[in-house]
Amino acid sequence: MKKLISILVLLVSFAFTSNSYSKTEIHWWYGNSGFLGDVIIEIANRFNDSQDEYVVIPTGKGSYEDNMAATIAAFRAGDQPHYSQVYDAGAAIMVAQVKNGVVIGFEEMAEKYGIDVDADNYIPGIKNFYADGDGKMIGVPFNSSTCLMYANMDILNEVGIEEVPKTYEEFEGMAQKILDAGYIPLLQSHSPWIWTENFFSRHNLLMTDGNNGYDDVPTTTLFADTEAFVYHWTKVKEWYEKGYYGYKGRAWGDNQAPFTNGEAAFWFGSAASFGGMKGVLPNFTTNPIPYWDSVTGGKEYPTFIGGAANWILNGHTEEEYKGLAKFIEFMGSPEMDLYYHNMTGYAAVTKGGIELAETINFYRASPYHKAVGDQLGLEGSTIPGGYRAGNWPQIREVIYENVEPMLNGDISVEKALGNMDKGAAKLLKQFAKTL
Amino acid sequence: MKKVQFKSYYSQYFFLAPQLLILLIFLYWPIIQTFKDAFTMQDAFGFGSQFAGFDNFLFVFSDPSYFTAFKFTIIYSFVITLITGSIGLLLAVQANKVLHGKNVYKTLLIWPYAIAPAVVGVMANYFFSERYGLLHHLFNNLWGFNWYEDVFDAYIYVIIAGSWKQISANFIFFLAGLQAIQKTIIEASIIDCKSNIRRFWTITFPLLMPTTFFLIIINITYAFFDTFGIIDTTTIGAPGSETKTLVYKAYIDGFKGLDLGSAGAQSIMMMIIVLFITIFQFRYIEGKIHYN
Repeated sequence: MKKLISILVLLVSFAFTSNSYSKTEIHWWYGNSGFLGDVIIEIANRFNDSQDEYVVIPTGKGSYEDNMAATIAAFRAGDQPHYSQVYDAGAAIMVAQVKNGVVIGFEEMAEKYGIDVDADNYIPGIKNFYADGDGKMIGVPFNSSTCLMYANMDILNEVGIEEVPKTYEEFEGMAQKILDAGYIPLLQSHSPWIWTENFFSRHNLLMTDGNNGYDDVPTTTLFADTEAFVYHWTKVKEWYEKGYYGYKGRAWGDNQAPFTNGEAAFWFGSAASFGGMKGVLPNFTTNPIPYWDSVTGGKEYPTFIGGAANWILNGHTEEEYKGLAKFIEFMGSPEMDLYYHNMTGYAAVTKGGIELAETINFYRASPYHKAVGDQLGLEGSTIPGGYRAGNWPQIREVIYENVEPMLNGDISVEKALGNMDKGAAKLLKQFAKTL
Repeated sequence: MKKVQFKSYYSQYFFLAPQLLILLIFLYWPIIQTFKDAFTMQDAFGFGSQFAGFDNFLFVFSDPSYFTAFKFTIIYSFVITLITGSIGLLLAVQANKVLHGKNVYKTLLIWPYAIAPAVVGVMANYFFSERYGLLHHLFNNLWGFNWYEDVFDAYIYVIIAGSWKQISANFIFFLAGLQAIQKTIIEASIIDCKSNIRRFWTITFPLLMPTTFFLIIINITYAFFDTFGIIDTTTIGAPGSETKTLVYKAYIDGFKGLDLGSAGAQSIMMMIIVLFITIFQFRYIEGKIHYN
């Protein structure tokens, strides 16, 4: 009996191995978890079902930071995946790696292996964010979000506010009313991303020297030198003291939870955040993030793309890259783009996807999805559509480290922003040395 | 007993080899690599590697949050050692007195020791959650608790999270130490002195000194290195960088920030700090301890 079982086990394991070995394996590592991770697995499954030659194996590595660290460690060990998802803050590091032969640029790949998706098929704002200095697209746009304002309409109705605020001035005007009714007026989940990087983009202001790093390697951030930014944080601190703004630490979810539970009127999060709210919070809307009317003079500017792109890593066989090319083509198709947009709330990244959404009247059925495209599609910016600054993950840490003592009154706003500049400058210079 | 001796000269190396190999791969190789990283400047993928002299060390020393982490690590290890040592001792003395159900008390008090620090952190997370945390509500009613931005409150959070599990370790060793004290000495002292407390401090505690010394070293090492998982699952170093330990900072800079040069330099600094603490302990404290 024992013998029989072991023979059976052996046979079964052979059957499995031979099955996967007959196809070319393509490894795709990602840094999403929960529902977003499930969608990634579903995309891979759909591709695997659509043809028999290749098999995409998705592997979740935890958070964006975890996946980036894992990818780098794997590369150093000579065991890198073919395709890896790296987030916005890591874009400068990845783009800089083309010259070292770590990363293969999308356009080079498309040319060599005949991907039937043109770089111009991706919408310009997204394409530029992941492009090198010459405008050549390196990373393949994938989950592209931006920060949005979520509003709990039941609370607004209760306190008698009819219009969702477009500007911070309007928000300030209604905050006391919301507070008096016993709700938290405002929460937000990511101080570096929403209230630093995208504060600059939303107000058409440069964040670092060297034209946000697009012209020259940046040496310093312009936090304390930007009057509007100092003004913004002075206001935020004032709001925090009055209770207009509630800070719940650095964890994304801790800041989102009170909103999802109906205790806060507004929350700033990602375009991809509404998945967990649907069905929990009965009546909410997604809206563009507010701006200071006094800063822009009534004009609105687009925010940066957030989220992540997929990057092609060097060191694999021709046959495997052919398969990866097929997969990129598959993911760039209008149907898949719209599928991903619909499932997650991330922006549609291809022109084909956007057209398809319009043809089928997608936004009438699902208005939640509209704000992200509206905000990213704004025109008139004179600054680059992103920032090319190295060591940015650490700079985000520096921002956090100074926001907290600023809010609790240990240091002044000017001092906090000055500290951020000092810390960032040191890290930018450190990065410049490694180029 | 019969003595076993190997005839062949080589066989001893054969049997030593696995252990030596493990030491080489998991200890010496990483140490060499750390030194290499600390003295080179390189990008995240290891390219553009060039000798940097002490640049990485200067970079670390010019970072104010490094000194914050240093200060916190010292405070943290001191407080944790004190709290876990004294509560562990108190519990051990009480458990040693119990006549009925001794084993039940012992087992229950030892249990937390088996829990991984990261899991302890996740549990502490529940207790200090603003939404449903028991301790959060208790402290909030007492003085307006807010660890998101108040340094003192964040200290309380990580100290409670960090101490809880380590109390068990202290308990076990103190209990073992108490049981090793000869009954005759205790009985003799009862005749001489009827004050329980005085007897404890003049007879029992001095006899426990070797255990105490051992536990001080263990507790400091624990607070230095093993609390990493607790910090990562509780405050992640916030507010500011006030609750980052040196190990946690090296991790953040090396793995999240992808700056291996700085992380390597910090590791070497840590080695030096631990070396000094150990020398200090053995030279100045151990001399005052009598091992029977």
